[in-house]
Amino acid sequence: MFYVSIFFQYMSQYVKTKLQYRTDLFVEFLSDLMFQGVNLIFILVVFGHTQLLNGWTRDEIIFIYGFFLIPFALFASFFNIWDFNERYIVRGEMDRVLTRPVHSLFQIVLERMELESLLGGITGLVVMGYAASRLHMTFHWYDAVLFVLFVLGGTFVYAGIFISLASISFWSDARSSIMPMMYNIGNYGRYPVDIYNRIIRYILTWILPFAFVGVYPAAYFLRKTEWYTYSFLTPVMGMVCFTLSVLLWNAGIKRYRGAGN
Amino acid sequence: MYAIEVEKLRKEFKSYSSRSGLAGAFRDLFTRNYKIIRAVDDISFTVKQGEMVGYIGENGAGKSTTIKMLTGILTPTSGRVVVNGMNPHKERERFVQTIGVVFGQRSQLWWDIAVQESFRLLKKVYRVSDQDYNEHMDHVIETLDIGPLLDKPVRKLSLGQRMRCELAAALIHNPPLLFLDEPTIGLDVLVKLKIRQFLKEINEKYNTTILLTTHDMTDIEALCERVIMLDEGKIIYDGSLQHLKQNWGEGKQIHFQFRDLVSKEELASLVHVTWEQGEDRYNWIAHVRANDMAHVIGKVVSSYELKDIHIREVSTEEIIRNIYEEGIHYG
Amino acid sequence: MAKYIEMIRMRFLMMLAYRTNYYSGIFIYSINIGAYYFLWSAIYGGQSSIQGMTVEQMTTYVAIAWMARAFYFNNIDREIAMEIRDGKVAIELIRPYNYLVMKTMQGLGEGIFRLIFFSLPGMLIVTFVFSLQFTTNVHTWGYFTLSTILSFIINSQLNLLAGMVTFFTLNGEGLLRAKRFIIDLFSGLILPISFYPEWAQHVMHYLPFQAISYIPSMIFTESFTGDVAIKGMMFQAVWCVVLIVPIYLLWKAAKRKLIIQGG
Repeated sequence: MFYVSIFFQYMSQYVKTKLQYRTDLFVEFLSDLMFQGVNLIFILVVFGHTQLLNGWTRDEIIFIYGFFLIPFALFASFFNIWDFNERYIVRGEMDRVLTRPVHSLFQIVLERMELESLLGGITGLVVMGYAASRLHMTFHWYDAVLFVLFVLGGTFVYAGIFISLASISFWSDARSSIMPMMYNIGNYGRYPVDIYNRIIRYILTWILPFAFVGVYPAAYFLRKTEWYTYSFLTPVMGMVCFTLSVLLWNAGIKRYRGAGN
Repeated sequence: MYAIEVEKLRKEFKSYSSRSGLAGAFRDLFTRNYKIIRAVDDISFTVKQGEMVGYIGENGAGKSTTIKMLTGILTPTSGRVVVNGMNPHKERERFVQTIGVVFGQRSQLWWDIAVQESFRLLKKVYRVSDQDYNEHMDHVIETLDIGPLLDKPVRKLSLGQRMRCELAAALIHNPPLLFLDEPTIGLDVLVKLKIRQFLKEINEKYNTTILLTTHDMTDIEALCERVIMLDEGKIIYDGSLQHLKQNWGEGKQIHFQFRDLVSKEELASLVHVTWEQGEDRYNWIAHVRANDMAHVIGKVVSSYELKDIHIREVSTEEIIRNIYEEGIHYG
Repeated sequence: MAKYIEMIRMRFLMMLAYRTNYYSGIFIYSINIGAYYFLWSAIYGGQSSIQGMTVEQMTTYVAIAWMARAFYFNNIDREIAMEIRDGKVAIELIRPYNYLVMKTMQGLGEGIFRLIFFSLPGMLIVTFVFSLQFTTNVHTWGYFTLSTILSFIINSQLNLLAGMVTFFTLNGEGLLRAKRFIIDLFSGLILPISFYPEWAQHVMHYLPFQAISYIPSMIFTESFTGDVAIKGMMFQAVWCVVLIVPIYLLWKAAKRKLIIQGG
């Protein structure tokens, strides 16, 4: 309850700050849209030269992409702490965070939230809607519940991976370029994993489980029964990833060296 | 009941040294040289509730590291820390509720929003009730004279204004223990005086314990009865400032300005004390003990013609410098 | 000149100090290339060639495009934006070197580091795992080397431009992000330009982006040979020269602004 009230307190501060820089907000929206556009263009161009991608049609791939955008938007809004090392470790902001009576990770999530990224979720819904209508997809009432669960699962998979990466900063003081590259890997979860070979499929399922953000949960709505097991594992994977990353974080805090003055 | 109890506290860091040159850098890729540096070396001390303690030492003596262990930011390598009856890093979230921290070089406040918005946020974070907040903070805001600053964003404040707001922010939950790390760094004299006055006041009013690190000895003189002095991670002095001054700062400096040129040898043969040259060879400073003062002045006045003479107490600053240069030995 | 070489060396050593980058970098680049390899294999499906490229050429294209990216890619746009925001540019101006050249040299130091520590070992790993086609033609290698150097210059020039533009706009971050997406898309890194519809190809012919990735990668896969390769490099060289003009103008304007407003 306390954490919920803190969350809204931070959020109101966030909105106040953002409204001071309205043009920034507009530019950010625009660059987000471009990012989403780039990937869509890739899909469209590729399907200008082929009919099927390992048995998946263009509209199915677009549907997966649309789905992917929603957990990704949630992740980008709340857990996008790619500059954690630079900002909190190197510049020593972590000192301040640790002198406050709220869990350190929660504080950082609140300080770094970027609610404008939620717009990507709307783009995702539009893209999904477009693909769904072309595919004449039908939905049950309980699909809505599953949709929420799968989206949350995907969000926490993403969050878990990036929090784990941020935690590495507690052990290694080196500036790392893993974070930006991880975005690229995240993209592969958007394509049907059966196009990859066993090793990459294994990595995307169990090590860096990005497949649970895109193709696995989306396969359920596309009624690809052969993937259902993985689809229903999505919320579980989200929980597991997130829990592990928080444990790693808590262990890392003990190793925190502080910024050298 | 002590506010702070520290026993054999130690903190070690691994420090990597890189080999020189390109070839060395390649070797560093695979194995790196490191050595263990003991930033804080088995220190023990206690602080009573309501004490104001100056924690001093040169850069790299281990001050900040100690403060960070006491505030739960760093985990000690070994030793026992009990602050406000708790183990800081074990029960961090509960513990920090009972302390206030000001880092002079780091802001607690949100850069882009008005000061009072920051206060409001912190009030929520520390779960302070409206009633407590109003009662306590009205007074703080008034004493620090920051009322007119509250609706300005932090980035628009001067350093002095910001520092006063920082201090207020650290006191929102009225903590019984306050850590101040270089709180007056870079501030002008008037602001310093205001801050010191304020600290004294809250110490009297709430019996707040204050642990202060600073490079400015006048801060210590104005506030602290007790100093803990650190050198290379070890405590080299822990006691009253008075005692330190008596043992070390007993001497006086007599500054003579002569009408004619004088050499050091002449002066040394006249009276056997330490002579030090002033700006030029007309100006000489004698370092003497208080008892010998009359004798030295008498001798010099009777032998030379003087333009000016004045006597100065040795400042705490100089005492500290002497201790670091010569090491401590009680005389 | 010596000071600029020193700059390259300094940056090289700096990169070397961050050794976690070194291990993780190869791993991640390999996964990246691997995923694209399979993606493209799937796209080709049964087709033996699309737009005149075989699947082997295509996967080689992807691998070399990413490896070359490790060389030409740098963050000097972000660094410039940051130094402008923190007011450090003013200090840089009184130093006895050209700020823009110095930034480029730092980028080069970074590039050489990545070339040696990412690209070469990464390429070795990738060739073991996937079936890629490496030419033994010395000319191709020569052309490719030259072409990659040119792509480094053009990419750095575009970065300098983008970095300086943040001097005149409020939100640099969004702008730089947008620039990055444009380059990813139009440089040919993720898609060869020849895959785009006719009209889009036509538009892109008037833009410098394909000089960054498309041309060197096409040369490497021998999709461009002989005259076509030389024409491609001419295209790159022309852009290298042309881009100097806006850089010069923008830099002059930026300096004027700096003097008047004090950063």
